[in-house]
Amino acid sequence: MSVSFAILLGFLLFSLGVFGLLSRRNLIVVLLSLELLFVAAGINFVVFSNLHKNLEGQIFTIFLIAVAAGEAAIGIGLLIALFRVRKSANVDEAKSLRG
Amino acid sequence: MMMTVLLIIVGALIALFAIGVVSFKHPVASAVSLLVGFLLVGVFYLLYGAEFVAAVQVMVYAGGIMVLYLMGVLFTDNEWIHVTRQTHLQAWIGLVLILAFFAFFGHKLFHSEYPAIENVASQTVVQKENKAEEKLGYLKRETNPRSVSVKLFSDYLIPFEAASVLLTVAVVGGIFLAKKEV
Repeated sequence: MSVSFAILLGFLLFSLGVFGLLSRRNLIVVLLSLELLFVAAGINFVVFSNLHKNLEGQIFTIFLIAVAAGEAAIGIGLLIALFRVRKSANVDEAKSLRG
Repeated sequence: MMMTVLLIIVGALIALFAIGVVSFKHPVASAVSLLVGFLLVGVFYLLYGAEFVAAVQVMVYAGGIMVLYLMGVLFTDNEWIHVTRQTHLQAWIGLVLILAFFAFFGHKLFHSEYPAIENVASQTVVQKENKAEEKLGYLKRETNPRSVSVKLFSDYLIPFEAASVLLTVAVVGGIFLAKKEV
């Protein structure tokens, strides 16, 4: 129940999120990996809030969840737009800007 | 002692389901794995004494955002996942680099000249002692949701209202992007 365990867990979630963000082909899974990054930040906020016995970390976690909800709405909009244009959720298909 | 065991079990399960998110082939399997992970993160927040954030996590994340993603799966055709590899060939290089990143900075977090957290290994979570407060009666007792909401609606009122504007803008933008003709 030490703090270092939770920090390591948050860092592991962050690493997994970056890995999924960069390596997966499906746009839905890319967005899900982005949520892992948000959760990693939230775990750190809550743990340090507990460590220093003040509530700012928990309040920032609430704002973080609000930002994640906005990101999900925009992400789903982008997903549907990409699917309409390319008929696929494969991010490899979205290469109009590639030189 | 029991708290420590519980924390390690919950943390290990969170890590396991997070690995599932990035490794399952079907997006629905990834989404359900992330859903269970979010519920477990709610338990994790509870163990660290953040009851209100745990409730928000379960309601907003597990209840709202994950439904949005599952609707995203519904809107798209996922037949191609059975015939196409779900990761690039470069993913192996990425995996090695991410493992190196994790090992290097995970080590640096605790063993550098100026550690990010001093004496963090010896710090443990202190359980709240409510015995003295309970004598003050029910209304005087400071519970976590009560103190969070007092702070949220006094010191952080303007950011709170700004968050509502942000959410409105995000939803309008999402609808605009998903419209028929852009």
